[in-house]
Amino acid sequence: MRNNFCGSPEHGVSRRGFLGTAAAAGAATLGADMTALDALKSPAMAGELKRKQKNVILLWLAGGASQLETWDPKPGRPTGGPFAKIQTSAPGVEISEMLPKMSKMMGNTAIIRSLNTRVGDHGGGAALMETGRAREQGVQHPDIGAICARELGRADSQVPDYVSMYTSTEGRRKGTSGYLGSRFAPMFLAESMIPQNIRRLETITDVDHKDRAALRDLLAKRFTRSRTSSTVGSHTSAYQRVRGLMASEKLFDIEQEPAKVREMYGPRQFAEQCLIARRLVEAGTPFVKVARAWWDSHGQNFETHQELCADLDHAMSTLLTDLKDRGLLETTLVITLAEFGRTPNINPSLGRDHFANAWSMSLSGCGIKGGTFYGKTDPDGQTVVDGETKSGDVFATIFRALGIDHEKEYHIGARPIPIVDFGCKAIEEVLA
Amino acid sequence: MKILCSILGLLCVGALPSFAHADDLLPASTPINEAIDHYIRKAWADEKIQPAARITDANLIRRLTLDLAGRVPGMHETKQYVASKSPRKWTDLVDRLLASPDFVYHHSNQLDEMLLPGDYNGGGDWQEYLRAAAKENRSWDKLFREMMLGVENDDAQKTALSFVRLRGKSLDDLTNDTSVVFFGVNIGCAKCHDHPLVGDWLQDHYFGMASFFNRTYMTKKNTVAEKYDGLVKFKTTSGEEKQAAFMFLTGTTIKEPAVEKTAEQKKAEAAEVQKQMKDAKAPPAKTPGFSPRTKLVELALKAGEDQFFARNIANRIWSRFMGHGLVHPLDQLHSENPASHPELLDWLRRDLAAHNYDLKRLIRGIVLSEAYARSSEWTQKIEKPAPEHFAVATTRALTPKQYGLSMVVSTSNPDDFDKKLQAENWADERKNLENAANSLASLIEYPGEYFQIGVDEALLISNSDRIQNNYLRDSRDRLLGYIKTLKTPKEKIDAAFWAVYSRGPESEEAAAFEQYLSKRDENDDNWKQILWALIAGPELRFNY
Repeated sequence: MRNNFCGSPEHGVSRRGFLGTAAAAGAATLGADMTALDALKSPAMAGELKRKQKNVILLWLAGGASQLETWDPKPGRPTGGPFAKIQTSAPGVEISEMLPKMSKMMGNTAIIRSLNTRVGDHGGGAALMETGRAREQGVQHPDIGAICARELGRADSQVPDYVSMYTSTEGRRKGTSGYLGSRFAPMFLAESMIPQNIRRLETITDVDHKDRAALRDLLAKRFTRSRTSSTVGSHTSAYQRVRGLMASEKLFDIEQEPAKVREMYGPRQFAEQCLIARRLVEAGTPFVKVARAWWDSHGQNFETHQELCADLDHAMSTLLTDLKDRGLLETTLVITLAEFGRTPNINPSLGRDHFANAWSMSLSGCGIKGGTFYGKTDPDGQTVVDGETKSGDVFATIFRALGIDHEKEYHIGARPIPIVDFGCKAIEEVLA
Repeated sequence: MKILCSILGLLCVGALPSFAHADDLLPASTPINEAIDHYIRKAWADEKIQPAARITDANLIRRLTLDLAGRVPGMHETKQYVASKSPRKWTDLVDRLLASPDFVYHHSNQLDEMLLPGDYNGGGDWQEYLRAAAKENRSWDKLFREMMLGVENDDAQKTALSFVRLRGKSLDDLTNDTSVVFFGVNIGCAKCHDHPLVGDWLQDHYFGMASFFNRTYMTKKNTVAEKYDGLVKFKTTSGEEKQAAFMFLTGTTIKEPAVEKTAEQKKAEAAEVQKQMKDAKAPPAKTPGFSPRTKLVELALKAGEDQFFARNIANRIWSRFMGHGLVHPLDQLHSENPASHPELLDWLRRDLAAHNYDLKRLIRGIVLSEAYARSSEWTQKIEKPAPEHFAVATTRALTPKQYGLSMVVSTSNPDDFDKKLQAENWADERKNLENAANSLASLIEYPGEYFQIGVDEALLISNSDRIQNNYLRDSRDRLLGYIKTLKTPKEKIDAAFWAVYSRGPESEEAAAFEQYLSKRDENDDNWKQILWALIAGPELRFNY
């Protein structure tokens, strides 16, 4: 038997656990175990799955939003800044007055105020919070979107299973599916609000487009008949999804929404993207990331947050309301997260700098106990005094909320890689 | 008894993978391809495996041209090869391709991807450096030396140092990437703890290797320099603090000569390093008397210590052409992960070291073996043998560059392409092709292990105007324009298959195409759709 993995006891991988998973997966490696998903093609299974379809909308506050101007205000303290805090609809939960709309509807939202993630540069912080673990030599870890796409998506899905959008170029981070491969890579809206190449060219009719695809399939069938591998298989399934995805173009077209709904979200880009996100999850897309930039307020922190918080407050509260009205909030987890927070100390340019030692995030909807907060920072917000939370804990919590087995392992060759980093656990207090 | 011996052997040797004895191996004078076939066939016989059939000539020229030239062959190139009656045609083709500018581009692209994968960008000078090296078939040990120890005041060597420079800010990257790329060993695991299952890899090895790079730093001018002192300390899992030795993967250590330095000397050295780090106008950094990086290179290439260096490159080159390493994964060269054909790997290692690490010679030997020429189709009733038997060829996804080039070549007017290929300035044309390929290549993902093709790619090929307006353009210089000059549907279908798939159509395919045409009004667009169906198929996407 060949052993070439790193399954150290120090890293908390039980040998039995590994063998169990390996045996269950058989020789299947990551790419090859699409077979498990294929079982879902049977109508009964697919129906069961659809009923339980869970989705995620990640509102990524690119550049690092200030926890003091959002979820963990410290008014009256030297670090507090000029804004007050307000009592929310949830007893005992106070947030910044910069988020008045959200304050009236905290019933579905839990705040985590005790993130201590240590990494304070944009690239490193983003990579840490996107993948839930420190960068590792020789392994490209997938981000949260790719993992959710894999765990919540369907092999034969006719809609995209990971869509990533952003406002303003600083928020432009495509995300990565790492070792999960490009099957789970995000569909990235780079140049317009419509994904690239999803629309048929005007120079070809729909019939021609369909007929030539059939001709292609015929050639492919002959080629793949006696050549089987997961890579060859992925080529086939990628082309099988083309027509379905093209039909999903309308999901990106908010013109199709009634005027009332358009009005509710309003004309700003971030809110419009949240509306697209809602349309996507409604149609079965398991993961949508909407990045709002640029919160990196090294100067004029308070003016910056006045503008950006208003945008966040409106978009997030509208999105949650809309999801709830449609009965989707129970199955959709809405997250606000960033690469880090901002320093309690206010610098001479009235800015706040990068700060990863005591900052906040929020979780709303699916699987979350709303109207609560978890963790505590000291009176000036300089340190976490209770409930210290690492990026891996956040991932464990998210997976638990979505019903994804957070103790699951992926395998690169024979090496097991747990989907949640070693030594991390879910925050039970915020789970429903 | 044999098993017992090998277990004992392992325990005794410790950090060294077990090796076959030189006198057990086939004579050194055996041609490479014969040695390969000897060992591969022997294993087939032992395992009672009936390998897949030999590929057709058309399939062979396609595979060889993709592997050696980085592109599919032109239509006439293929047809001439298939028609040739020469008993030497396989060898002649291999030698022609190895001597062509195509090989220089393709081989250097492959080296680039191995040395600076992913997001690393070596830039134009780096690629030029690799091309120059590929052109003169510079030996692998020389390249290794240049990349690790190049001097900054020589333009070519300075470029070679990019391997170190681009990783210069991360000791972990330098340590692990050097081990992976040059020695086939991923020791990242051993940073936090002794490897749980691989007795070979201890924390001592990780930090031992790190010691060789610990003094390497980047100056303010972004040049690579080395400090005068500095040792690596680490904590074992039991919390004990240890000082790492300069230890190579074999366990061999180097002692730093004791040099008495006065406090002033030490101060001056520290000041010099500080100046280099902060002052962009500092004079070129001095080389310290003891250079750990130099010691690593010397040690790694020393007879007896060079098994990792030699096995790694033999295994990597093998895997490039055979789709699977003799040791697999490629970065797991250790005693718990033995080679599928230990004697073959040993023979190749010995041969490579004895022939000045001549990679071209090794490549030539591999692609002339019968093992290389197996079909990728598995038609026997019994289960397909695992890849490490090399009984059936692996279907390999093209690299982005190969796919881009193949798309351009296969949709070009075959007569035009043939003329360019025969012309004296083919090297210039090949360069143009290289650039033309980038527009597609830049949008395609590089195939790693467990590669999965995403729907983005399928959407791109299906709906992007660059496919429609470029490759499928209705103009004289394109395949579509060429096909229009042909008379009968049969001739047209024939040409389309030969140009795109390097083979003629099967009767079922020809029938399907004829049926497709019969259902439609006569229209030039029909041929555009047919060509799309061909280029979007898996047959162009893979080397099979």
